[in-house]
Amino acid sequence: MSALSVDTRRILYAIAAAIALFLIGEAAHPGFLSGGSVSSILVIASFVGLVAAGQCFVILIGGIDLSVPWVLNAAAILLTTTSLGKNAAAPEAIVVALGMGLLVGAANGIGVAFLGIPAVVMTLAMNGIVEGLTLGLTGGFTCSSCSSYAPPAIQTLAHGTLLGIPDALWLWAVITALVSGALAVTRFGRATYALGTNPLAATLAGIDARRMTILLYALCGGFAALGGVMLVGFGGQASLGLGDPYLFTSIAAVVIGGVNILGGRGNYLGVAAGAVSLTVLVSVLLALSMPDYVRSIAYGVVILALLLAYGREKER
Amino acid sequence: MPPDATAAALPRGSRLGHTIAQNIGLILACAILILAVFGFALIYGIEQHRLPGNFELTSAVNSAIPLVFAAVGQSFVVLTRGIDLSVGGVVDLANAMAAVTMGKTLGSALGWSAIILMTGAACGLVNGLLVALGRLPPIVVTLATLSIFQGLAIRVLPEPGGAIPPAYTNLLVNPNGPWALVYILVLGLGWAAFRRSRMGVDLYAIGNDEASASALGVNVLRTKIIAYVLDGTLGAAAGLFLAASATAGDATTGNSYTLSSIVAVVLGGISLFGGRGSAIGAIAGAFITTLIVNILFFGHVNPLYQSFYEGVFLIIAVVLGGAIGGAIRRRR
Repeated sequence: MSALSVDTRRILYAIAAAIALFLIGEAAHPGFLSGGSVSSILVIASFVGLVAAGQCFVILIGGIDLSVPWVLNAAAILLTTTSLGKNAAAPEAIVVALGMGLLVGAANGIGVAFLGIPAVVMTLAMNGIVEGLTLGLTGGFTCSSCSSYAPPAIQTLAHGTLLGIPDALWLWAVITALVSGALAVTRFGRATYALGTNPLAATLAGIDARRMTILLYALCGGFAALGGVMLVGFGGQASLGLGDPYLFTSIAAVVIGGVNILGGRGNYLGVAAGAVSLTVLVSVLLALSMPDYVRSIAYGVVILALLLAYGREKER
Repeated sequence: MPPDATAAALPRGSRLGHTIAQNIGLILACAILILAVFGFALIYGIEQHRLPGNFELTSAVNSAIPLVFAAVGQSFVVLTRGIDLSVGGVVDLANAMAAVTMGKTLGSALGWSAIILMTGAACGLVNGLLVALGRLPPIVVTLATLSIFQGLAIRVLPEPGGAIPPAYTNLLVNPNGPWALVYILVLGLGWAAFRRSRMGVDLYAIGNDEASASALGVNVLRTKIIAYVLDGTLGAAAGLFLAASATAGDATTGNSYTLSSIVAVVLGGISLFGGRGSAIGAIAGAFITTLIVNILFFGHVNPLYQSFYEGVFLIIAVVLGGAIGGAIRRRR
């Protein structure tokens, strides 16, 4: 083990935690590890994973995105209201939904990079702005097109399988490869880590800190919107409050995945494992038919336990 | 850093100028508050053809007071360069406990209030121990404990209900006059005393530079833990005021206090990077937040767009505050 770097070890810990939780689930509720059950848990985890990918980008540069819930929700609503359930309009609707996410994210980045607003404040305000616009423009979600379904093609994408593996997991696998590859080996990845470790040094080394910040926040908005598109494809219809659970879950997945909340360290592989861990945890508690409050408490306790086990800051 | 500590050492600028630059966040927060009060009076006057009176003042104070307590609690933690996302859960838990336990008499209500405040302190202690001893990032610790406290609150009060004795409501949030201002005055005086104490100086030192503070003999561990304990206690007080206003309990109404307390702290001119600002500013921030809602209401703004305008206002306030503060510091 000592040959591995701290970062690699953290990714392995996150994966080990996910596997351990699966085994605990099987022990507590035999049949938990059956193929169908595992694949449906992973599909749910993929939605968390997509949102957490964006959150991972901004946390790597020491930021955070609190606007995730309503960007996700607005994307889901835009998808159904633009496409009105028609396959022909699906490509356009996806472009509109993802474009909105990218734009809102870029606006967050501009606020942080150019206006010098702390990320917590900028994205918190943006969450309110997108919420207000969504509620206002849809008349409190009473508009005639609000009850439209997602186009069948997108629903098939969210539910279908290819070679026995759900499409949603293929998509997540591709994105995991792209994101962790981009972070590990590209110039973009190195610039991200450099910016998160020491913004001044990164700027002196020729990295355009402002452009990178805007790009990363835009990506975060885009990933939140993608999560919304997949989620509405999975559920069929959009609803208000769809994105609420994804704020804290996406941050928790990033942190359990071994990414330093202050930026500069970690990789998306760990985050993906973190997303799986959190989803398995909820599933185990559901399988044991625990009441709501036990689930809420256990969720917090397990996150703390995982952090105490391997997420501690270095001894000064 | 306490005002004037370095004034003598500065090469130029008067002591007054220095005091202004040191407290620019607080001064701007008070300016925004005054503007908000005038804005509210203006819109109210146009709509109702009279100026807001005792009733409006009372209702503004009573609706702001839970946030005032939560925001002052949040201030302690933010000044150490931390953040408390669990404050909403503490408010929930206190609110739920109050509704279940208080019974019918003022005596039992007061007895339970003490126990509930201690519960809040215990919640804060857990946060503080995990942050200071466990060396975990505050944002993550309090994210996890938020979930735990919310779960406990729902366990205590699964469905909205319970009861608060009317005498208790009259004592905390008297509907006939703005008597609750007394609590805010006490809070402000308490803060002023704290800030001048050894503990207060230590708190600012940690927020400015933890390593230096530690090297100079500040007990970082103890100071941080106390900051979180005070935060938890004030969060529980917010829950008590909320229960008294609503005259019943609900284990979920407190959730919004996590984010709104952060908004109040930021509007109050406290730096999220620690060490700068004053809890008095957070009190102003809490009133600004409450007044904005009233202004939007009396201005006949479509309530569906309310969070849109709040978000825009927050960005404008922070950008303008930063620009004005920066300009004043540069001029000196």
